[in-house]
Amino acid sequence: MPELESLEDVTTPPGTGASPARHAAARWFGRIAPLVVVGAVLGAGPSLYNNLAFLTTLAIYILLAQGVNIVYGFTGYLPFGFVGFFGAGIYGSSLAIVYWHVGGYAAIALGALTSVVAALILSPLLRLSGAYFALATLAASQALYFIVANESWTFGESGMSLPLLFSPTALYVISVVAVVVALIVVLYVRDSHFGLSLRAIRSDAVSAAMAGVNVVRTRTIAWLVSAALAGVAGALWALMTSAFYAETPFDLTISVYAIVFALFGGVRTAVGPVVGTVVLYSLYQYIGISNPQYFELIYGLLIVVLVLFLPGGLTSLVGGRGDRPAWWNRLVRRRAAPEVAP
Amino acid sequence: MASGLAAASLSASQSAGASGNVITVGTLYANTGSFATSSMPEYAGLQFWVKQVNAAGGMYVAPLKKKEHVQLVSYNDQSDPATATTLYNQLLTQNKVNVFVADFGSVLTAPAVTIAKDQKHLLFDITGSGTSFFSSGPNPYVALTSLPVSAVWPKPVVGLLSSLKIKRVAILYCQNDFDQAQAAAIKGFLASEHLQPVYFQGVPTTQSDYSTIVQAIKGANPQAVLEFGYPNNDIAFLNQLKSTNTHFNFVLTPFPGQLPTLFSQDVGAKALAWEYTYAVPPIMRVNKVNLGLGLNAFLQKFAPGKESTVNFLNVAGYNAGLAVQAAFAHATSMSQLGIRAGLTAVSGKLQTLEGTFALNKAGAQVGELLPVAQMVPHGAGFQFKIVYPATAAQKAMVNGTPKYPAPRA
Repeated sequence: MPELESLEDVTTPPGTGASPARHAAARWFGRIAPLVVVGAVLGAGPSLYNNLAFLTTLAIYILLAQGVNIVYGFTGYLPFGFVGFFGAGIYGSSLAIVYWHVGGYAAIALGALTSVVAALILSPLLRLSGAYFALATLAASQALYFIVANESWTFGESGMSLPLLFSPTALYVISVVAVVVALIVVLYVRDSHFGLSLRAIRSDAVSAAMAGVNVVRTRTIAWLVSAALAGVAGALWALMTSAFYAETPFDLTISVYAIVFALFGGVRTAVGPVVGTVVLYSLYQYIGISNPQYFELIYGLLIVVLVLFLPGGLTSLVGGRGDRPAWWNRLVRRRAAPEVAP
Repeated sequence: MASGLAAASLSASQSAGASGNVITVGTLYANTGSFATSSMPEYAGLQFWVKQVNAAGGMYVAPLKKKEHVQLVSYNDQSDPATATTLYNQLLTQNKVNVFVADFGSVLTAPAVTIAKDQKHLLFDITGSGTSFFSSGPNPYVALTSLPVSAVWPKPVVGLLSSLKIKRVAILYCQNDFDQAQAAAIKGFLASEHLQPVYFQGVPTTQSDYSTIVQAIKGANPQAVLEFGYPNNDIAFLNQLKSTNTHFNFVLTPFPGQLPTLFSQDVGAKALAWEYTYAVPPIMRVNKVNLGLGLNAFLQKFAPGKESTVNFLNVAGYNAGLAVQAAFAHATSMSQLGIRAGLTAVSGKLQTLEGTFALNKAGAQVGELLPVAQMVPHGAGFQFKIVYPATAAQKAMVNGTPKYPAPRA
């Protein structure tokens, strides 16, 4: 378990021979560069493609993929029912707007809080593992859906109708800020002792506990943080959509997309879910516009091919040698061969 | 990727404008997913309208004082409301359509209502009759073209129950806006007559097992049973009446009139015998029109030789096109409010194959009321007989008397 030895082992490449000051500078660059690049790319989005509904939805999916990244990437728990937290965020923020007439920012905070409360209630599910955990979260999200859909105080029957609290531009700016904050959270999880503990638990929970990691508390915090991200995503979606029926926020395809986007980009990294979402969701929109008749075929084939040949996600191509797919290592070796051959 | 998206949308815009001056109408359809069976017939009706208008040299656009061709710009939302949100926005921001038409039903219309209000762009809502769309005061940017709002539907049912002196009514409804609004309207009527339903129960829209519920209703000994659901609910309910060999003297469900072929296949003519439903076109035949084709002409031109395959959703799609046509023909300017003013000008005066087109201030359809029909056995099948009109003008359409109590099939 090399990850447990020290934080420096994770953040400092061994045997580089560089000075501590250069290491520190490189570490900070590694943390700030993704924030600047992601912020700049999303900020430039409207000048490249002025469909703010698409861009805001893209940002919402990035938040969801980052939530999956934290709970699955760092702890190994695959939450098929992750959409339940998204729906909780949507209804938490919407009901706060309808009943308490709160403003947009308070609605976002209350959406996140609602999801965290839902995650706390569902935290005993963390006692399960593997397929049992995945199915239990799926069942929990459906239970949440049926409660919301069948209660009149949640407007499950008549549908929700909200006032428009933000202009599309303002909402997009808020979404980009939320994505950057989520990225900071993931960078913290990746580089901190907390993240190290999560990875230790992922590798072997019993060994981690014996090494002094509070497994239950650490896991639960990750679970709550990922739920909070989904809650913020839900609140943003509610503010964007404003008129909807319960079946839309709890649609299981939202879970599937969030998981696929995170895996495609690469989990356990900060930028992987961002890259995965930007590439796949843009492709989704592109095919939907240009070749709608072949949508399922093209998108399905693409995902199958990518899962087969890039199981570690896109970012694995630029990761450490051990993370890269074998075919990529062979390709790189073959290209390098003429230079070393006599 | 962003430039690719922009390029894809640009190509759509270019094709829209390729024929010179055109009016662009944007719409979505679902060729996969749970709404596909309803969305595609509606889309076919709208496409037929475009074909008809362009064959006649275009539609008259009052502010331009000339005829213009119509270009339909459409995308497939795959029955997914989240995808529909971005695609409706695509129609407005990239294709810059003049007006847009919603996909089928309230779920896929909801994102369009938000965008229409937000971006102040006129939306022609074909079948999204959810009351929440029209309950927040005057709204000039949404117009419901093909169905009255849900709460208005049961008006003639109330009249029919009253005329048959039925006092013990059982109401079973699915917990969604469309069905709950109808159930509440009937309950309100009974309350005004100092009556209470003998059975009043909501079930989830996903309900498919009605066997216990049927027995519970039977225990309440009703004179009439009203089941308000979506097609799958209606089918499951009627099938379980049949399988449990339960007979009621009066049963009404909303969808057999809209989808008679589907109900014939899935429920069977015998189980449908003497059942009541809403009479929508083509059961209700309006041939005296002042815009577009009358119902008989529509049937002949839309599906020559196959008139029996035409359903209400084909008519609804065509009727939405007629509403667009009327709006431009009477528009005061090419602005969105100018086009909406055209609709206001024709409201209450426009007669189409769906009846009188009339909007209230919130944009809800309050004309086009639906009479009640009964399914009368006819050979191996059945035929619809209109037994109770929704308006005085519909009295001429009545071609049968209600058979009550319904004989055992």
